Amino acid sequence: MANVKERLSSVLGHLSPAGSGSAGKAKLLQKNQDDIVITFAARTPLTKAKKGALKDTNIDDLVIALLTEVRQRSNLDPSLVEDVCLGNVLSDSGGYIARSSVLAAGYPVSTAASVANRFCSSGLLAIQNIANQITAGSIEVGIAIGAESMSTCPDNGAPGWLSEKITGHPIASQNLQTMGQTSENVAGDFGISRGAMDGFAARSFQRAEKAQKEGWSVDEIIPITVKVKDSKTGEVVEETITQDGGIRPGTTAESLGKIRSAFPQWSPSNTTGGNASQLTDGAAVILLMKRSKALSLNQPILAKFAAATVSGLEPRIMGIGPTYAIPKVLEKVGLSVQDVDVFEINEAFASMGVYCIEKLGLDAERVNPRGGAIALGHPLGCTGARQVVTALSELKRRGERVAVTSMCVGTGMGMAGVFVSEH
Amino acid sequence: MEYRTTGFNGYAVQYSPFVNSSIAVGAAANFGLVGNGRLYFFDLTAQGIVAQKWYNTQDAIYDIAYSEQNANQLIAGCGDGTVKLFDTKVPDYPIMEWKEHNREVYAVAWNLVSKDTFVSSSWDGTIKLYSPERPQALLTLPTHSCTYSTHFSPHSPSIISSVTSDSHLRVFDLRTPASASNHLVHLIPIHGHAPQQGPSYNPLRPRHPPSEALTHDWNKYRDTTVATAGVDTIIRTFDIRHHKHGATAHLEGHKYAVRRIAWSPHAPDMLLSASYDMTCRVWSDRMATPNITPGSHAPSQGAELGRMDVHTEFVTGVDWCLFGGQGWCASTAWDERLLVWDARSVMNQR
Repeated sequence: MANVKERLSSVLGHLSPAGSGSAGKAKLLQKNQDDIVITFAARTPLTKAKKGALKDTNIDDLVIALLTEVRQRSNLDPSLVEDVCLGNVLSDSGGYIARSSVLAAGYPVSTAASVANRFCSSGLLAIQNIANQITAGSIEVGIAIGAESMSTCPDNGAPGWLSEKITGHPIASQNLQTMGQTSENVAGDFGISRGAMDGFAARSFQRAEKAQKEGWSVDEIIPITVKVKDSKTGEVVEETITQDGGIRPGTTAESLGKIRSAFPQWSPSNTTGGNASQLTDGAAVILLMKRSKALSLNQPILAKFAAATVSGLEPRIMGIGPTYAIPKVLEKVGLSVQDVDVFEINEAFASMGVYCIEKLGLDAERVNPRGGAIALGHPLGCTGARQVVTALSELKRRGERVAVTSMCVGTGMGMAGVFVSEH
Repeated sequence: MEYRTTGFNGYAVQYSPFVNSSIAVGAAANFGLVGNGRLYFFDLTAQGIVAQKWYNTQDAIYDIAYSEQNANQLIAGCGDGTVKLFDTKVPDYPIMEWKEHNREVYAVAWNLVSKDTFVSSSWDGTIKLYSPERPQALLTLPTHSCTYSTHFSPHSPSIISSVTSDSHLRVFDLRTPASASNHLVHLIPIHGHAPQQGPSYNPLRPRHPPSEALTHDWNKYRDTTVATAGVDTIIRTFDIRHHKHGATAHLEGHKYAVRRIAWSPHAPDMLLSASYDMTCRVWSDRMATPNITPGSHAPSQGAELGRMDVHTEFVTGVDWCLFGGQGWCASTAWDERLLVWDARSVMNQR
């Protein structure tokens, strides 16, 4: 019974305090065989809904195009992929699309598929779902993909037939408010000025423009070939797209200040088409497995998935979800905000972006260093995965390690995840 | 004064509650990892520390507690899960032994009020209550977590407390009915309660992740004050009546885990600590003049009054002398030494 090893590890445990932030970081950077690691991460270009090159690409073709690229580029036997989780919000037949697209992309019948939907966090939820399955031993290798075709799948808001128990409920009924209204609620409740919002949005555009010009985002993007219909002639041509389409070069806070309010009906009416996320098409993909598996398959280890969590809050101010989710996930891994090298926080609206940076006391230089959804666009189901792809590329460029990704979630939630680059 | 417990690494030290020159040390060979334990009884004499008697045990001794009934008796908690009652009138072997725990017994404590019971706690996630007259434990209190420390309240015969590896302070009151809660009346997260959403929510408040709690002690004057400490190096004081907003005071300064703390029997604000950082430190929680900002729930900051850094290995045990000089104390450590010293001398140095 006198177990020497256990007594020794007990004493050693007393000597490695998880208390201080730096110790938490040291622990996070450790490499263990059962870590969940990312061996492939990429995304399509993001293009404007209804206008960009992906406007005529349905959600299934978008998923097939990206999954085909993963199969060809990852140097992994596709029969090893046991499950694919598709993060998608707007498609009304996700279940059919997910599994069918996996098969059409050249994966064998043994590769399963499912759909994850928690609005803007669906891409991150898909990553978490696959990671949890691997942790639990349900599968060994899985793919998380976030995809959205906002051109072909309209967002019609909350359905009109909701139960009286919801519409009469003081909190649940807040979900009848549109996202734009929740942005104005955040601006109004917390005194976020139009000027601060336009400044935040301009910075997003300027950073995205710089990242594109300098070629930083080249290693995020896999060019894909799609069919595009000319809006005038109706002629269908094949086109290979390589670049994000939402960036407006030369944008300044002054130029954004001239745009009229998008929601004059809701005070303080600070939100405009220029300081809110764009409607966009795009997809992003993450290939996950245990470190031990990656080593045995000789797969390149790009990064480690460390943790993810979710937190709920009042739907009417859903935008501030990251101020709950980020501290919660940092506590789980024993980090402080100072330990994080790069934050990717989804810019659903500049109001919540400004609030989250202020409330969490973040260094603005480390938040969305390549711009965010205001400049690049916010394909709802894609964003959660896209931000991970962007964060890992940026960490590699900077030679840094720890990224936190987070987003507010419609109907009043926030999700956050921690990733460690091992470039 | 100094005594070398050659071959045995100290784990616990206690002054006799009856005789001001008697002191006992529980120790273990090979740092308590494997091998025998040894219980020492010492006399403090003009010629130094004299070992009067010792007893060898099969496995390590991790904690000791003098009987409050009989000046010759003492209980020891052992690595093999046993609790042994020794009597200095009977040589070589314990007079009673209880084999109740499945894992290492890390703490024992005697009831200071009714004086007729004692408790032990173990890595097996339980606290056991015993009477020296009964061959079996009277009661088992589950903590479901490695229980490094247990005590009786010095103010009530029926209140038992513990701290555990799950970062919680538990308070049990045996007067409550033995319902599903097993007499548990307080479950206090030492690292702090989870943040609540609402107007007072502050995501930037200092956050402390849960960490193993190794030791705690009841204040001898303020009957609702308990101090806790452990792996995250911070000594905290709690008022068990108001713990929703966390600790009342933080005493910060140790570089490694705190292994043992003891409130002074003489001064209501004074506390002694022993740490893996090889120091013993004397603290004041400054509750006589609390420096709390009105409206803030941030803990007040205590003050380090002095430190004793003669030990050359992890310090595992400290105790105050109940009699005589108000600063007399003793410490034991993995450096195989019992040191008897005066806390006032290290306080004057600063």
